Amino acid sequence: MTNELLKIENLKTYFDTWAGVVKAVDGVSLNVKQGETLGLVGESGSGKSVTALSILRIVPRPGKIVDGRILYKGESLLEKKENEMQKIRGKEIAYIFQDPATSLNPVFSIADQLVEIIRHHQNLSKQEALERAIDLFKLVEIPDPEVKIWNYPHQLSGGMKQRIAVARALSCQPSLLLADEPTTNLDVTIQAQILELMKNLKKKLGMSMILITHDMGVVAGVADRISVLYAGRVCESASARTIFYNPKHPYTVALLTAVPNLAIKREKLKVIPGTIPNLIEPPSGCRFHPRCEYAQPACSQEVPPLVEIEPEHYVACLRAKEIDVKSPLRAE
Amino acid sequence: MSIKRKVLHFFPTRVAHAVQSPLAKYVLRRLLYLIPLFFGILILVFVATRLAGDPVKLMTGLNPRITAEARERLTQYYGLDQPLYYQFAKFLWELFQGNLGNSYALRGGTPVTTLIGDYAWETFKLQLAALFFSLVIAIPIGVMSARRQYSKLDVSVTTTSLVGTCIPIFYMGIVTILIFSYFLGWFPYGQAHSLEPSRYPFGSYTLDELWHLALPTAVLTFATLAPVVLLVRSSMLEILRQDYILAARASGLSERTVVYKHALRNALIPVVTYVGLYFGGMLAGAPITETVFNWPGVGRLYVEATAKLDFPLIMGITVFITLMVLVANLITDITYAYIDPRIRIE
Ligand SMILES: Nc1ncnc2c1ncn2[C@@H]1O[C@H](COP(=O)(O)OP(=O)(O)OP(=O)(O)O)[C@@H](O)[C@H]1O
Ligand code: SF4
Ligand SMILES: [Mg+2]
Repeated sequence: MTNELLKIENLKTYFDTWAGVVKAVDGVSLNVKQGETLGLVGESGSGKSVTALSILRIVPRPGKIVDGRILYKGESLLEKKENEMQKIRGKEIAYIFQDPATSLNPVFSIADQLVEIIRHHQNLSKQEALERAIDLFKLVEIPDPEVKIWNYPHQLSGGMKQRIAVARALSCQPSLLLADEPTTNLDVTIQAQILELMKNLKKKLGMSMILITHDMGVVAGVADRISVLYAGRVCESASARTIFYNPKHPYTVALLTAVPNLAIKREKLKVIPGTIPNLIEPPSGCRFHPRCEYAQPACSQEVPPLVEIEPEHYVACLRAKEIDVKSPLRAE
Repeated sequence: MSIKRKVLHFFPTRVAHAVQSPLAKYVLRRLLYLIPLFFGILILVFVATRLAGDPVKLMTGLNPRITAEARERLTQYYGLDQPLYYQFAKFLWELFQGNLGNSYALRGGTPVTTLIGDYAWETFKLQLAALFFSLVIAIPIGVMSARRQYSKLDVSVTTTSLVGTCIPIFYMGIVTILIFSYFLGWFPYGQAHSLEPSRYPFGSYTLDELWHLALPTAVLTFATLAPVVLLVRSSMLEILRQDYILAARASGLSERTVVYKHALRNALIPVVTYVGLYFGGMLAGAPITETVFNWPGVGRLYVEATAKLDFPLIMGITVFITLMVLVANLITDITYAYIDPRIRIE
């Protein structure tokens, strides 16, 4: 247990809106070990970003963390004061945003933005911070760093901006990187480059990472462990190998089946029927039951707990032991 | 393009280089647009004045013994018997020599330039004071209101501002004068100075100036404040939702830095445009405020000139106002480019 870097227990983050209380994250438990990459996978709207923002305690209003515990290096983040959190954000835990086009401030040069953050967390002169920023540019493999660093965001391409976002996140050598769909808005070749870059950097700098995505294909070669999120709850959590080859939750299987580029026979590719539930009044019992092909009356009555069905393999399904789901990746 | 090249050809290389810097290029381009606009406005106003009536008739209307011949002579004296294009050409020719002609009616034929010179300073004083105070007050209030959207503070600020935008400035002016000048007698009414030095508070000319300035500045500030507050608020709300603000928070920057550096700089972009356009007109004088407060500024002068069909004065003030608006536009553009690199670069 000593090598546990981050532990989230029963996290609940709700948005109190005019229409009602949106239970975006409703009892999520996760953990990330030292040096490990956790893949956080789920459909759009399943609460992945809100979970990550909750860790840093920067959930935008009207969002509020209403319950749960977040332990980072054994310390409870929810009990920290705002100024203590400011020392953790960016320095201990860094965040990479989904959309590189909007995550850099358009009115400041890249140099200004990086130097500001570096100097905020480290006691360096402007010149030293600038040199550090240029080193970071080299680290994320941006050509002409001395020139490019003086550019403004609108002068750079999407892939370049995302490299800069990675550089910004790495600027203070964080122990944990929250990468929120860092490649979703890039085209395919650039996606692969950025993923490769992040994988290498992670190894080089010995960080831990939570890689958030809705695409099982993205986490395939990168994550050590995977947690699958559905409608604000974890439905399955295990090593990447187990998730891909021996999943127990019907939703995990459905997600795997929906990925086109996972070297699966064509005819097996299918979309998950139905839509993500309304999070103001989510389905009772197992939230997946309206879409689950194995659902039984009990599924709409009872909330399935997250149970360790075999060592390090957690599943939240009432029928996990009876039903025999098969990964589409496994040969018949 | 080619015209610009030719223009640049005349400059010594150094100037040419300066002119080719991105910001200068941008400003130069804007200036080139403004020239046709300037002449367009002059032609419009020129034609409009000539259509408005006959100043000679107006001058002589109350004199029952005026002869037709005397009228004829006056018309000739003012050059109003000439064809319109000739009159306009003459006006332009004199304009380029810095001569705006003599007023028909005010102070017995004083040169228009002298008149404007006398009145413009009072206008600037009043408008700049109001601009300064309204921005200094509106920006922090708008920001605070946006940060606590839907709080009691926000609701009261929004409501007050909406009400504020609806009160006509002449009404606010009259009420203020009634209360603070007429009933309470705390502030003087009308003019920018006391007539006799003996009435200066503590014998100080500066204090007397400020004392006269207080009421009109307060009313003008209040009138311009409300829309700016609403604009700052809505612009700030929009920016606070952006990813880069969340990114700045995620980097551990303090709330102060996030709001007042990262967000405000972006939020001010539309505010600069609005304020620039609005105060461009205001710098030229606010006819209503100046009339209500009997303030000796260009706006009031314009009202008088129009009432008397004082052609040279009307045209002179038009030139002045147009130039002021154009200058304000230019300052707006430069500020805009300074704040927003997307305009400055490429
Ligand atoms: N500001 C907000 N106000 C109200 N509801 C919100 C707000 N932000 C997020 N939510 C709700 O929280 C839920 C989870 O959102 P979240 O952004 O975490 O999804 P996600 O899993 O990251 O999806 P995506 O793949 O689209 O990024 C959504 O259903 C959304 O409606
Ligand atoms: S609990 Fe029932 S509805 Fe939910 S996943 Fe398991 S079988 Fe399907
Ligand atoms: Mg998201």
